[in-house]
Amino acid sequence: MMCANCGYPSRPGHWTEAGAADAHDRIRARFRRAEVLNKVLPAYGLTAHDDGQVEGVQVGTLSGNHAIALDLAEVWAVAERLSGRPIDPLDPRFIGGDETS
Amino acid sequence: MTAAVEGRMRLTIVGGFLGSGKTTWLRHQLHAGRFRNAVVVVNEAAGTPIDDALLAGASDLKVLAGGCACCEARDDLIALLRELADRRSRIGSDDAARLDEIVLETSGLADPGPIVAAIRNDPVLVYHVVLGEIIVLVDGLNALAQLRREPLGRRQVETADRLVVTKIDAAGEGDVRRLLATLHAINPGAAITGAVKGTETALPDFDGIAPEAVASGDDGPAAAIFPTRLAIDPAVDWTSFTVWLSALLHARGDDVLRVKGVVRTPAGRLLLQSVRKVVQSPEILPQAEDDPGREDNTIVVIGRGYRGDDLRRSLAYFAGRGGR
Repeated sequence: MMCANCGYPSRPGHWTEAGAADAHDRIRARFRRAEVLNKVLPAYGLTAHDDGQVEGVQVGTLSGNHAIALDLAEVWAVAERLSGRPIDPLDPRFIGGDETS
Repeated sequence: MTAAVEGRMRLTIVGGFLGSGKTTWLRHQLHAGRFRNAVVVVNEAAGTPIDDALLAGASDLKVLAGGCACCEARDDLIALLRELADRRSRIGSDDAARLDEIVLETSGLADPGPIVAAIRNDPVLVYHVVLGEIIVLVDGLNALAQLRREPLGRRQVETADRLVVTKIDAAGEGDVRRLLATLHAINPGAAITGAVKGTETALPDFDGIAPEAVASGDDGPAAAIFPTRLAIDPAVDWTSFTVWLSALLHARGDDVLRVKGVVRTPAGRLLLQSVRKVVQSPEILPQAEDDPGREDNTIVVIGRGYRGDDLRRSLAYFAGRGGR
């Protein structure tokens, strides 16, 4: 989002958004982001939804609680708040390992 | 598409414990012509600046006295860097007088981590400053004793890209070897060089030497820190990589001390680096053929409390196409 007055982005881009070269990349990246999040969040009883229009991604619980996160750092903070524990990418469910690591 | 050129000022942080030889080393570098066009910012925790008198070789010198740039004087540092950025923005990019480099000599009590975080989180500086290198000076005579007692000494060593061990002519060779083994155990990713009064000096070999147990900063012994090289497979797209890394830093940020590497993206080659939980705004690098010596699509993760292979498997899971 640009500032209407100076043309600068309204906030410094999150580092995760640096890889997109143009608007097409950015919209593709948003849908891909939701897709990747939905490989991980359901294990914690959560889902992610991004309609590609409203800024941010919606993180929700199965019981209907939800919150909007503007970038990935916020996604993980919101997900931790909604599920009551941090989403650990090294969770045995994601590394195909056992519980003893 | 033409890749954008990195237009920000490069910041080199020179840190290290009290008395580790930061000013001596920096004075020698200036004398040898390094950082010739840089603005040198000296931060001293004490109210009366002294180091600036020793750094007469700098083309432009700024002093931040009366507080440490990682805590009380953080706002002063941010204000000073903003002023430099503002002054630079008024000069054309092709003008040789334009400032491209800043060297910050921190006080001996500063932890570089919060300084990096403060610059990263500043809405103005994020557009103007890119972190170059964190160089941490280590006192060859006293560092082992400091590391045993002072968690701050350990945090300084952990954040370094390069460790310069000073005063090695005055220290016994056995002690230097033990110090080197200890530094390598704390930060296996950092390059280690030796210096005597600022001049680079060869270091003894420390293979097979046992590291000392050092203060971890919390109760109980800390797990061993180790580096993991992660090759980013071409099948791993930038988005899934960022989802993965942001999750890792959120959940494991106290254990993942440093991430650094070059990743190819639709926007060009990005130099990515984090210091603890804070990721710098990625620096855009020139095309690979103009920038030899860097390996693309490889990142190094330095941390503890997990297995290196877990990182690989977890990243592959995040990046895999299709559902679970």
